[in-house]
Amino acid sequence: MPRPRIDAVDLGKTYAEVTALTGVNLQVEAGTVLAVLGHNGAGKTTLVDILATRVPPTSGTATVCGFDVRRAGHEVRRRIALTGQTPSIDTTLSARANLVLFARLLGAPARAARERAAELVELFGLTEAAKRPAHTYSGGTRRRLDLAACLVGSPQVLFLDEPTTGLDPVGRNGLWDLVRELARAGTTVVLTTQYLEEADQLADRLVVLAAGAVVAGGTPRELKARVGARTAALGFPDAWSARSALDRFRQSGLAPVLDPGGHRVSAPLPEAGRLLPLLRALERAGLDVVDLAVTEPTLDEVYLALHHAAWDLA
Amino acid sequence: MSAPGPDRAEWTGSSLPTQVWVLTTRSLRAAFGDYRLVFFGLLQPVVLLLLFTQVFAGVGALPGVAPYAGYVNYLMPATLVNIAVITAMGAGAGLMAETYTGVVDRLRSLPIRPVSVLLARTFADSARLTVQLAAITGAGVLFLGFQPRGGVLGLAAAVLLATVVGWGLSWVFVAIATWRRNVELMQAVSFVAMFPLMFSSSAYMPLASMPGWMRAVATVNPITYAIDATRALALGRPPGAAPAWALLLALGAALGAGAVAVRNFRRAT
Repeated sequence: MPRPRIDAVDLGKTYAEVTALTGVNLQVEAGTVLAVLGHNGAGKTTLVDILATRVPPTSGTATVCGFDVRRAGHEVRRRIALTGQTPSIDTTLSARANLVLFARLLGAPARAARERAAELVELFGLTEAAKRPAHTYSGGTRRRLDLAACLVGSPQVLFLDEPTTGLDPVGRNGLWDLVRELARAGTTVVLTTQYLEEADQLADRLVVLAAGAVVAGGTPRELKARVGARTAALGFPDAWSARSALDRFRQSGLAPVLDPGGHRVSAPLPEAGRLLPLLRALERAGLDVVDLAVTEPTLDEVYLALHHAAWDLA
Repeated sequence: MSAPGPDRAEWTGSSLPTQVWVLTTRSLRAAFGDYRLVFFGLLQPVVLLLLFTQVFAGVGALPGVAPYAGYVNYLMPATLVNIAVITAMGAGAGLMAETYTGVVDRLRSLPIRPVSVLLARTFADSARLTVQLAAITGAGVLFLGFQPRGGVLGLAAAVLLATVVGWGLSWVFVAIATWRRNVELMQAVSFVAMFPLMFSSSAYMPLASMPGWMRAVATVNPITYAIDATRALALGRPPGAAPAWALLLALGAALGAGAVAVRNFRRAT
């Protein structure tokens, strides 16, 4: 069996007296999208920085593409690409000149570098901006250039640190498509995010970090099963019908909560199939539903659920 | 957006000379890209020189300076070194400015040697410095009555020596920049270092006219060697061991500070 693209054993990082990361074990195969989920300060960026050889770990070991991040950083850097939270490009140069520069530094001959830059300019919709210096670009355009810079080579592992922060919905969907396509072609993608929805959309596997430690891991489906899945929220025309609806929720095996405003009732939805019987029951009772929303659990709810699970075990 | 095709050649690294070359031309393009910056960069030392030679014209009559037939002849070679020192200080600030724009961040995540990023930085600065020194020498001859007895060869040697001295010294400031990434601190250090270095040397006054303690300081000041060497070469006087000492000191600074800079550069803040 081939070695995993990323193999981390008991990885830890301490700054002065602050523990940024502790006891992280991780194995990620080729063509896998791993989402690292956590709040600000949970250790997401530290984990990415260690795996991308930007900072050395203070304990444990990690190999990327079979090379030790501490001892063979140069070999690791030949096989990875990284987009941090702030775009890292030469703002005095145009998009095209930036891409040519990075291609040349990766060893492309001058002509091939120009061709590659032209290809990426086209691919990332930078044609309009290609000749202006990058300091004139909007935040979204800079991000796209930053991503394009990552794909000048053919990285085996791509690290994306909160890649959709600051992108509009169109840009976000474009990025998601790109990540899926890269993974299909065999690239391992590690992305950090604060949104369970993003992890759910993209990731084959995810780890949840809290205070530098992995508090949960597995497939998105497994995590959602532990967390208690989605929430259904129904709006009613008045407080009286909302109160009457509570019984129908209970009869459908759901645990309803009445909103302080009195017009909305919400309940955790263990599986989607429970929704239709509930709606039918409400219809039979002559209760109008004026609003319906089914939402994914937020990161806070994930943390809360994991916390409760830990208490139950104790 | 869609992913790149799979049939593309794999690029996973370039040779050290390629890295240095590509990065040096990048910096040079940035340095000469804005013609206004180039113009005022050239004008600045000319203005400085004009002020000094006119305000301190009387210095030319002092016993130690009189044999030079005009203060401009005494001052001009020292100004070359002065400009080299100022450019060297700018190298540290320039590196930090680039760190803020993020491009250095990208370079550090690429499979390139840290030394090539720093070498390119200092080479590009040196190329710009050479152009600057040549321009001010020309301006001195044309407008300020500078008479370089050393001829074209002597002048070229003087400009080259000043460039090498500036290159060596720039590593010291690059090392400081990689050690503490703090622009204010950098400026404070440069300011404190710059004036004593320049004034406690043979740049503006002959050593013989200074009080004893200052003469002692000026004698061991490495800048004095550089200025004496540049002055001798430009004016066609016997240079003695000064050029050798100046080159040796520049090389020592480059190697010592360079080792520190390269070690620090890899580490993130």
